[in-house]
Amino acid sequence: MFLNLLIKNESIDKNATMEEFKKIAPELSKIKKENAFGTPPHYFDDFSARLQMKIEAEKQVAEKKEFKIINILKPALGLAASFAIIFMLVYIPVKTFMPQQAVVGNLASNEYSDNEFETILEELDENSFFALLENGDEEESFSDEELIAYVSSNFSSYEIFEYTEK
Amino acid sequence: MQDIDKHIIAGLKDKNKRDLAFHQLVSTYQERLYWHIRKIVLNHDDTDDVLQNTFLKVWKSIDNFREESSLFTWLYRIATNESITFINSKKKKSFMQMNEVSEFLMDNLESDPYFEGDEIQLKLQKAILTLPEKQRIVFNMKYYDDLKYDDMAQILDTSVGALKASYHHAAKKIEHYLKSTD
Repeated sequence: MFLNLLIKNESIDKNATMEEFKKIAPELSKIKKENAFGTPPHYFDDFSARLQMKIEAEKQVAEKKEFKIINILKPALGLAASFAIIFMLVYIPVKTFMPQQAVVGNLASNEYSDNEFETILEELDENSFFALLENGDEEESFSDEELIAYVSSNFSSYEIFEYTEK
Repeated sequence: MQDIDKHIIAGLKDKNKRDLAFHQLVSTYQERLYWHIRKIVLNHDDTDDVLQNTFLKVWKSIDNFREESSLFTWLYRIATNESITFINSKKKKSFMQMNEVSEFLMDNLESDPYFEGDEIQLKLQKAILTLPEKQRIVFNMKYYDDLKYDDMAQILDTSVGALKASYHHAAKKIEHYLKSTD
């Protein structure tokens, strides 16, 4: 009942639209509404097969693109992987087998305690201490000859022997 | 939504049945979409290209289809956009002005061996070609395909009121062309 009413209403609406259309465009209303276009014979029968071929071609292009990206990335990935392996081969054994205390000892040997520093200062005579302070900024480097000359003029052979034994 | 559409959508969502469902979709909609595109680009060969591109796009974007719109309006929307893109690319390639587009399409129609209309039909097509692009599409969808305004609103992303006004103006312009070229 409701569906019939709906269909009836729709057809009334359509008729009203048609009447309105005739009023707006009487010349156009006279022209027979027909499809003036044609297609080659069997066009729609073949279309699906042709489309399928195109889709398959697209799929292959997409696969090739994917393959290309992997090919480009391969050497970079290989290089990164070998770096990682080398790092692991060096880092893990060093961390596992090297005694922690030895590492700490090595680090500490580069630094002087306050007492040691004081004894070194005490052993220096006044002149050489001031000479060091004055020339420190100007002469940052000196040759081996200058060093030997300085040591031989300021230290006795026994003192040198004692220092090297330490 | 029609039962056939429901069946096709269910098949498209299932990756094992997707190929078969897509084949069904093509068989169901190829003719309707063909005629819709043909009335926009006019020439058979161009229509064939655009129709293939339309279905390729459908194939690629199956996962993006949300059932907010019907399958039919989604397909029509893609076909319309592909047709407009095709005309725009032709326009760019040959540096055409807006008024030259209708001349290009007219040449396209006259050189098409598959146009089977008589003189009156050719005159009507010429009259339709005087319309702006969007108005031409609205006129064709209503006049030839007799689509509902609600469906057209979904396809063209416009309000029903705007579509009615557009169709009214289009009919008046065509009438004027037919009268003035008698």
